[in-house]
Amino acid sequence: MLRLLRTYGLAMVLLTFVAFPLYWMTLTSLKPQTEVFRVPPTFLPATWTLEHYVNLFWLTDFGLLFWNSLKVCLLSTALSLAVGILGAYALARFNVRGKEAYGRLVLLAYMFPGALLVIPLLLLFRELGLTNSHLGLSLAYLTFSLPFVMWVMRDFFASVPVDLEEAAMIDGATRLGALWDVVLPQAVPGIIATGIFAFLFAWNEYLYALILISDESLRTLPPGMMRFVSTTDTNWGLIMAASTLATLPMALAFGLIQRYLVTGMGAGGVKG
Amino acid sequence: MANVRIDRLHKEFRGPTGTVHALQELTLDIADGEFVSLVGPSGCGKSTALRIIAGLEVPSSGRILFGPRDITKLEPRDRNIAMVFQSYALYPHMTVRQNLEYGLRKRGIGKEERARKVAAIAPMLRLETMLERKPRQLSGGQRQRVALGRALIRDPEVFLLDEPLSNLDAKLRVHMRAELAALHQKLRTTMIYVTHDQLEAMTLSDRIVVMNHGVMQQVGTPEEIYSRPANRFVAEFIGTPSMNMIEGELRIEGGRPVFQGPGIAVPLPQAPPRMPATPQATLGVRPEDIALVPPDAPGAIRAKVTVSELAGAERYHFIELGSGSVILRTPATTVLRPGETVALGLDPARLHLFAGAGEDAAALR
Ligand SMILES: Nc1ncnc2c1ncn2[C@@H]1O[C@H](COP(=O)(O)OP(=O)(O)OP(=O)(O)O)[C@@H](O)[C@H]1O
Ligand SMILES: [Mg+2]
Repeated sequence: MLRLLRTYGLAMVLLTFVAFPLYWMTLTSLKPQTEVFRVPPTFLPATWTLEHYVNLFWLTDFGLLFWNSLKVCLLSTALSLAVGILGAYALARFNVRGKEAYGRLVLLAYMFPGALLVIPLLLLFRELGLTNSHLGLSLAYLTFSLPFVMWVMRDFFASVPVDLEEAAMIDGATRLGALWDVVLPQAVPGIIATGIFAFLFAWNEYLYALILISDESLRTLPPGMMRFVSTTDTNWGLIMAASTLATLPMALAFGLIQRYLVTGMGAGGVKG
Repeated sequence: MANVRIDRLHKEFRGPTGTVHALQELTLDIADGEFVSLVGPSGCGKSTALRIIAGLEVPSSGRILFGPRDITKLEPRDRNIAMVFQSYALYPHMTVRQNLEYGLRKRGIGKEERARKVAAIAPMLRLETMLERKPRQLSGGQRQRVALGRALIRDPEVFLLDEPLSNLDAKLRVHMRAELAALHQKLRTTMIYVTHDQLEAMTLSDRIVVMNHGVMQQVGTPEEIYSRPANRFVAEFIGTPSMNMIEGELRIEGGRPVFQGPGIAVPLPQAPPRMPATPQATLGVRPEDIALVPPDAPGAIRAKVTVSELAGAERYHFIELGSGSVILRTPATTVLRPGETVALGLDPARLHLFAGAGEDAAALR
């Protein structure tokens, strides 16, 4: 009983710690401008209003930012899954020389601080004409998400019996066909889990988005929302409305696939 | 349908710990419709041979032909073979029906034709009632039958089976063995069967290939392999309990060949056509080829019983002979007491003589 109490007590503390900012953000976005700075603060809005949300879409380019972010994130997730799955499969199955060293290098790339890469990337991308391009930004995100996908999916593939693919190839499939027909279905939890992580990483990323994109019409959410903060007059209601909407995809993603996430990370983590 | 020709097949695996010669110069002709078993101890290269025939492994050298067609370099999917794996390798996310249909679908066979073929094959393997189940909802024996069905449905030229029965319990294994034999009787498709169970090989095969350390030791009908083993390895590998081996020397005494073992001398009916260069030899006699004879019978060998074991319908008696020991196999009704002295007679026509004492000691005949 005491143990139960302790467990739940701890959970409550953690929950408060994590959930309070979310709660405050959402509430603030629903308060009229005059109520935001009222002392003492109101824990439930005295007056409920959607004015900030209306303003967000009518007075700012939030819609465009959101759309740009979505595009970049979906593209970089798709790319990192497509390339990462094939790479992970090769690492898991083929006897390539230097495979182990390469695997470790992938992990190293994943742990490399992004801030150190951004300037070289900028120079490189400028040469290649990839600055101010959604494709360019997506590719930049691959430096982080691709190693992650490869590292996790490699363990997933290693746990799928080789016999299955061999049976499929004897049954008439090509190697890619066997991968598609019988290996990937066994690895769905891993694909979903790594896909979400790749997506969320890109969704939250600020530095690359700020530096690699300067064209306002191509901006993504994190640097775009920064412009709502101004030195003289910051509309907190507006910012909180934007933040609430920006959090939505994450909350949705986690909510819908929690189950996969747990099995996914678990299964990938057993081997190592 | 096709005959299979395996021509000087060689396979080596290079690893950090050195090179393994998994298969050495395997040459074998398999007739159309024949059932051939590859047997041998673990690691002797049976699976490697099968996997090369399947195209899952690339040989270091050598060729494989199906009929006139050289298939050495073809992909597995282009060989028109089917394979049953020891693990069954059923696709876990597909139903039994989808498992059966997969190969047909990959070959572009239409929906109706597929349904017709499944309907034809399901009763043969008693799978009609479980077509919509997933593999994990099946028992071991049922999974085994699905694996067979998935291979059968394609009408392959050659059927490859890698220890398909070894995951079943003893009783089911005997049952499936009989079903497999019946299936081969009916289909008359070329089948290559890998097992380390000599009983499976003996009961199912038209011919048996015995392998050891990647080298083919002998190929022949089950009868030939059993009654005329080519060397000491084959003699000891085939038959339970194994053939008794007595090491000694081959001599000519008074113009007659005699095998001189530790403490015993066995006159032989005739000298081998060519006498080996060294006298060292091994005499082999199967446990059922030793007879209990009256003590005064000519050539009777006196020996002492150490232990007797009852094995169902028969008994195995361990007997001290000279300074070694042999096993004698009799019906269960023959009771010998430990310590008892008996007289043994060796049937001269059923003795095996090998030149030398090593595994590869060749039969002298
Ligand atoms: N991929 C591989 N890499 C390195 N060595 C291998 C490989 N596959 C097989 N071998 C080696 O080749 C030899 C033959 O292996 P194989 O699997 O053909 O044996 P087997 O006769 O099927 O044995 P079992 O009855 O245990 O299945 C063994 O020594 C094995 O270690
Ligand atoms: Mg094997």
